[in-house]
Amino acid sequence: MTAPDKTLPAEVAERLKSIGTADIVVGIPSYNNARTIGHVVRAATAGLAKYFPNRKALLINSDGGSKDGTRDAVLGAEVSAEALLVVSHQLNPLQRISTPYHGLPGKGSAFRLIFAAACSVNAKACVVLDSDLRSVTPQWIELLAHPVLERDFDFIAPYYLRHKFDGTITNSIIYPMTRALFGRRVRQPIGGDFGFSGKLAARYLEKDVWESDVARFGIDIWMTLTAIAEGFRVGQAYLGAKLHDAKDPGADLSTMFRQVVGSIFGLLETYEPVWTAMNESESVTMFGFPFEAGVEPIAVNTERMIRAFAQGVKDLREVYQGFLTPETLAALTGCALLPPEQFRVPDDLWVRTVFEFAAAWKHRKMDRGHLMQSLVPLYLGRTASFVIEMRDATAREAEERVDKLAAAFEEGRPYLRQVWKPAAPKPPKEVANARPA
Amino acid sequence: MPDLLNQYFVEPAMRLFHQIGLALAPLVTVLLILVVGALLAYVVRRVVFRLLTLMKFDRFADNAGFASGILRTRAFATPSDFGARAAQGAVWLFMVLLALSAANTAVTEALVARFVNYIPNLVTATMVLLLGALLSNFLARSTLLAAVNAQWAGARALAAVVRVLGLLLTGVIVLEQLGIGQTAVIVTFAILFGGVVIAAAIAFGLGARDLARDWLRENLKPQASEEETFHHL
Repeated sequence: MTAPDKTLPAEVAERLKSIGTADIVVGIPSYNNARTIGHVVRAATAGLAKYFPNRKALLINSDGGSKDGTRDAVLGAEVSAEALLVVSHQLNPLQRISTPYHGLPGKGSAFRLIFAAACSVNAKACVVLDSDLRSVTPQWIELLAHPVLERDFDFIAPYYLRHKFDGTITNSIIYPMTRALFGRRVRQPIGGDFGFSGKLAARYLEKDVWESDVARFGIDIWMTLTAIAEGFRVGQAYLGAKLHDAKDPGADLSTMFRQVVGSIFGLLETYEPVWTAMNESESVTMFGFPFEAGVEPIAVNTERMIRAFAQGVKDLREVYQGFLTPETLAALTGCALLPPEQFRVPDDLWVRTVFEFAAAWKHRKMDRGHLMQSLVPLYLGRTASFVIEMRDATAREAEERVDKLAAAFEEGRPYLRQVWKPAAPKPPKEVANARPA
Repeated sequence: MPDLLNQYFVEPAMRLFHQIGLALAPLVTVLLILVVGALLAYVVRRVVFRLLTLMKFDRFADNAGFASGILRTRAFATPSDFGARAAQGAVWLFMVLLALSAANTAVTEALVARFVNYIPNLVTATMVLLLGALLSNFLARSTLLAAVNAQWAGARALAAVVRVLGLLLTGVIVLEQLGIGQTAVIVTFAILFGGVVIAAAIAFGLGARDLARDWLRENLKPQASEEETFHHL
């Protein structure tokens, strides 16, 4: 593996040189996570000691310039002696590095440094964990690294138990598109906690994407789809519930949405030959032992979302007219007229809308940032529709509903191929005739 | 008798014809240039229209947001038609200047010289106008999207205000560049703009103090954090 040059700060490169090699690298990106990162470091340390006592390991914290003592929390986090009694002692002491990264501020830039460090020490496996996790356990390290070290897998995505209304971008866009267009049923493609091989880390590092949204929130979907599209061996690991630090979910939705959904649209362009040849999806190997666990209750304000949808359809009509087909726009307008209790955005309409946005993104029908921003109200409407429909459903029923949507995305694949071409888009009859329920 | 005829009739007639000939030559040249110019301008229009169509200029104009402004004038069928007619106009203008120059009179020469010296201002003003229109549309759309995503009721009105202010500012710069009522235009704009801002601030801050407080409380605090606890990703 080639040692990356400019990505690593000089002192880190020196330190890595003195370390030599490591079998496992655990990377933790952070930005002002002093409150939670200590727990993540302790879980990772215990996981390495318990499950990989004979492996040489390195823990690297790639920090975005925290002001709250995050880096001190990383270097100072200790696993208590009592805890260590129940796990094996690591033969090689865990090396710990906490360093600021260079480049655009964002999770992707932090990951880039971790990839570079992994390549520098010729790591066989790499695990990345979010720094705001509260539910991470030592076993996560085993579940994410073991398939890479012992089973020749290149990429392990997380499989979490989440509240039925949590992860709405994942449920309504990212998972269905991953499944329909890249053919792998990876349930949490933007989960944030991954295991991957050193070979894949080197491949990531070769890509010239570090000035794009991939350097920010787009990194997760980029990692997952790059691994799938380039034929790396992909699996997923059941990690149980994902609980993380409560942040303001309404804040920066527009930016986050643009980075994530814009990245997946960009990947459609990059891997056009892959998805245009895709005909059906298949499940991927699941590691771990699925179990039931309690999830935190969450509150969703559907009225606010429906209002956002209705306002979007009304105020952004001229914007939408530039790239949505008249049939789609008419159907969306019809949805906006429904009373709140009957509000629905049907699957086929949602599929058609997302695909027409993807085509508009490809054909640069308008500024791409604006395009992504204009999808936000429609996404909120679709989320409200799902919540209203699944309000009394069990978690299993909600999961089946997400699968049904993913199947609709698979059925709509020919339509994406059609609108993706430069010719003027015309929806097939059965899609064009779709009306809100 | 023949001498008299020659002296009083033929020679003056010859001088008259000669003078008419001297005056007609440039007139014919001017007419010829105008006719050729008209033909050339027409050909240029067709060629430019074809080129712009091939370059998908209509789509570019649509994406950039100035297609609607062109179509709203009802003078042009498409943005490509606008571009083609602009090129035709430029060629036509050039040929008229050439014709005036060919007339070779003091008045026309002074006119041509004045116009030629004015061309850099015209080009700059045109570019400022184009960029100003593009920027105004872009900012207006950014405002509209941000306001809609923040669920502000007057999103469209706000975007319209941004567009109008952008175009107004562009207009002032263009007029200044063209040297038309420089001081008066800038002073008028400054008074108008400052007046609007102060009036709005006074009306909003004093006249509707309670409304302003409530509005800020409702719109600027992150509502979602209190009402929603789910993660989008």
